[in-house]
Amino acid sequence: MSTINFAAREINFKLVYYGPGLSGKTTNLKQIHAHVPVESKGEMVSLQTEDERTLFFDFLPLDLGKVNGFKTRFHLYTVPGQVFYNASRRLILRGVDGVVFVADSAPNRLRANAESLRNLRENLAEHGLSLGDLPYVIQVNKRDLPDALPVDMIRAVLDPDGGAPLFEAVAQQHVGVIEPLKAVSKLVLEKLAQRA
Amino acid sequence: MLEPSLDLYGEAAERVEGLLVDLLTQSRARYALLIDRQGFVILHCRAAWAPKPPSLDSLATLIASNHSANEAIAQLFGEASFRETVQQSDGVGTYVESVGDKALLVTVFDASAPLGKVKLFTKRALERIQAVLDETREAAPMADIGGSFSVHAGALLDELFGDGKTP
Ligand SMILES: Nc1nc2c(ncn2[C@@H]2O[C@H](COP(=O)(O)OP(=O)(O)OP(=O)(O)O)[C@@H](O)[C@H]2O)c(=O)[nH]1
Ligand SMILES: [Mg+2]
Repeated sequence: MSTINFAAREINFKLVYYGPGLSGKTTNLKQIHAHVPVESKGEMVSLQTEDERTLFFDFLPLDLGKVNGFKTRFHLYTVPGQVFYNASRRLILRGVDGVVFVADSAPNRLRANAESLRNLRENLAEHGLSLGDLPYVIQVNKRDLPDALPVDMIRAVLDPDGGAPLFEAVAQQHVGVIEPLKAVSKLVLEKLAQRA
Repeated sequence: MLEPSLDLYGEAAERVEGLLVDLLTQSRARYALLIDRQGFVILHCRAAWAPKPPSLDSLATLIASNHSANEAIAQLFGEASFRETVQQSDGVGTYVESVGDKALLVTVFDASAPLGKVKLFTKRALERIQAVLDETREAAPMADIGGSFSVHAGALLDELFGDGKTP
C-alpha cells in the first residue's frame, strides 16, 4: 500500500527483500547504499546480531526526486532470514508494495529457498495480501559458487509458471543488484498507474 | 488509487503543525513528530534551541518498528497494545502515543523537560490532533498522480540507476 502524504507532498513506497538466511539480502542493501549517489540516499540502518545476521531489519531510504510535484521515495527493507525470526518478518511486511525474493544458488539451500517462499506467502496472507497481486521479482544470488545449481532448477522450484522476472546475481560483487531493484520499482509504479 | 497515510493536508495540516509547536513550547521537548505506522514522517517540528536532529527517516522507521514489535509483544498476552511507550536514557527520551490506527505521535525530549510534563502535553496534543482529524474526515483530494506519474517516475529511475546494467 503506497502511501501519499499530502501535508508534505510525498509519495512513499515500501520494498522488502525476502529470502532464506544468508542468501544475501543485507548484501544487496549494502551494495545499493554504496553505489547510489549521496543526494539520492539516506542513512542505512541495520539491526543485527553480533555475527552480522539480521535480527530485525535493514533499512535504506532512496530518494527519486520530485515527480509531478510529489517527492517520491522508496524505503528498502530486508527481513531476517533465519527461520525463528518469523514474528519480525511478519511485522516488516506491513504495508509492503513490492518484494525482491533473494534466492541462494547453493545446492544445500534449495529447500530453504522453497520454505522461505512458502513462509512469505503465509505472512502476506496474514496481511490480506497475496504474491499474485504484488509486484514481485526473483534474484538468484551467489551465481559465483562453483557448485551453483542451474537457474532453471531454482526457477522450477520457486516459480514453476515462469511468471516472475528473474535475475542472476553475485550480490557481493555488485552484479545483478540494480536490475531487480529497478524492475520491482517499475512494477510498483505501473501498478500505481493502473489503479489511478 | 493511493492510500493517503492520513487525511491531513492544507489547513488541517497547518493546524496540526501548530499543535506540535505548542507541544514543544509547553513541554520544553526537543522534537515532535507525526509519523505513520509504516515509519514515514508526516509532519515534524523542532524547538528553536534544540540541536540538529538525527536522520528523521531512521528515527521514524525505528520508532514505528519498535512500536509494532511492542504491540506484537502485548498481543502475545492477549492485550491489544501497551498503554505507554516511553524510552529514557540519561541524555534523551522518547514518548510515543498512537494517533488512531494509522499514525504515531512522537515526542523527543532531554533532561530539560520533566517526563510528567512531556506526557501531559503529548496527551493533550494528541486529543487536539485527533479532533482536527475527526473534523476533516472528508476524503482527501485525489491528486492527479496517475499515468503521467509512473512515466515521470520511471524516467527518474532510469536516471538514478542508469540502464539497470551493472557497470
Ligand atoms: N559467494 C557469494 N557470497 C555472497 C554473495 N552475496 C552475499 N554473500 C555472502 O553471504 C553471506 C550472507 O550475506 P547476508 O547479506 O548477510 O545474508 P542475509 O540474507 O542478509 O542473511 P540473514 O540476515 O541471516 O537473513 C555473507 O558472508 C556475504 O558476504 C554472492 O553473490 N556470492
Ligand atoms: Mg541480513
